[in-house]
Amino acid sequence: MPDDAPLTWEEVARTYGRKIYNFAYRLTGNAHDAADLTQEVLLRVRKGLAGYQPGSFEGWLWRITRNAFLDDVRRRTRKPTAALPDELDRLSSLASPAPDQVLAKVRLGEDIQAALLDLPYDFREAVVLCDIVGLSYDEISATVSAPIGTVRSRIHRGRKMLKERLQ
Amino acid sequence: MMHPSELLSALLDGELSERERTQVNEHLATCSACEDELNGLHFARAAVRSLPLLELPAGSRPAEEELGDVVHMTRRPPVWIAAAAAAILALFVGMATILAPPTTLEVRLDQLSDQYGARASLEPAMTPRTPMPVLERVAGPIE
Ligand SMILES: [Zn+2]
Repeated sequence: MPDDAPLTWEEVARTYGRKIYNFAYRLTGNAHDAADLTQEVLLRVRKGLAGYQPGSFEGWLWRITRNAFLDDVRRRTRKPTAALPDELDRLSSLASPAPDQVLAKVRLGEDIQAALLDLPYDFREAVVLCDIVGLSYDEISATVSAPIGTVRSRIHRGRKMLKERLQ
Repeated sequence: MMHPSELLSALLDGELSERERTQVNEHLATCSACEDELNGLHFARAAVRSLPLLELPAGSRPAEEELGDVVHMTRRPPVWIAAAAAAILALFVGMATILAPPTTLEVRLDQLSDQYGARASLEPAMTPRTPMPVLERVAGPIE
């Protein structure tokens, strides 16, 4: 696709929908909430694209995603659950893998997700944007409206806590 | 150099300046405490990055065949409005399938969107000219 192609909502949805879903899923551990949030973000993108000024598209998109997420959190009173029905379903539907391997994998994924959910929100968000979404520190800084030194510190402290819980 | 601590995470992420990286590496060569810390950080980073990238569940997956959320008009229009709207849309959209049952008007966005020109004329605001962003930074383990 040429660089000057217009960025349509469909392209945004196709390219980023799955990432937005994974962002929300890793922050909440809840498949339904993550799916709802993905729809909400795509709706906001559709409304917002008309006024989008060429610039850092990633920064713009992830700010919308983060704001939608925080609005959603404020609206809900219930706590996110840590269940992982998606992963369990996915793995159980695989064709006869070695049971030990599957168990180990599920267990490990569960542990990592649970450890993520234990992190203070700011740390969890920074780690997910860095290691799940794949943003640079600069992009994370723009997304969460915090100085880059703060981003660096949150990622670092988040990882230290994760290590303590997982090792 | 003092123990570089949080610079160690930035080192793993390739987020240090040349000068900082040199200083941190020099320190690491002489400080086993920081080397241990670096290993722990590397472990945590790799653990998060090992999480599978989940598929969007059916229904929220914006793949081409499912792009659409179906737009429901919340206030039911009179049947004649639905019929008129359907006729006008059909003019613009051509082959798009339009479901217009008596009580609701539904337009599948994905089918609309297949008709690029039609969509542009219906919603000119939806096609801003912007450069495509750099996509898909792969979050993988460091070398
Ligand atoms: Zn040291």
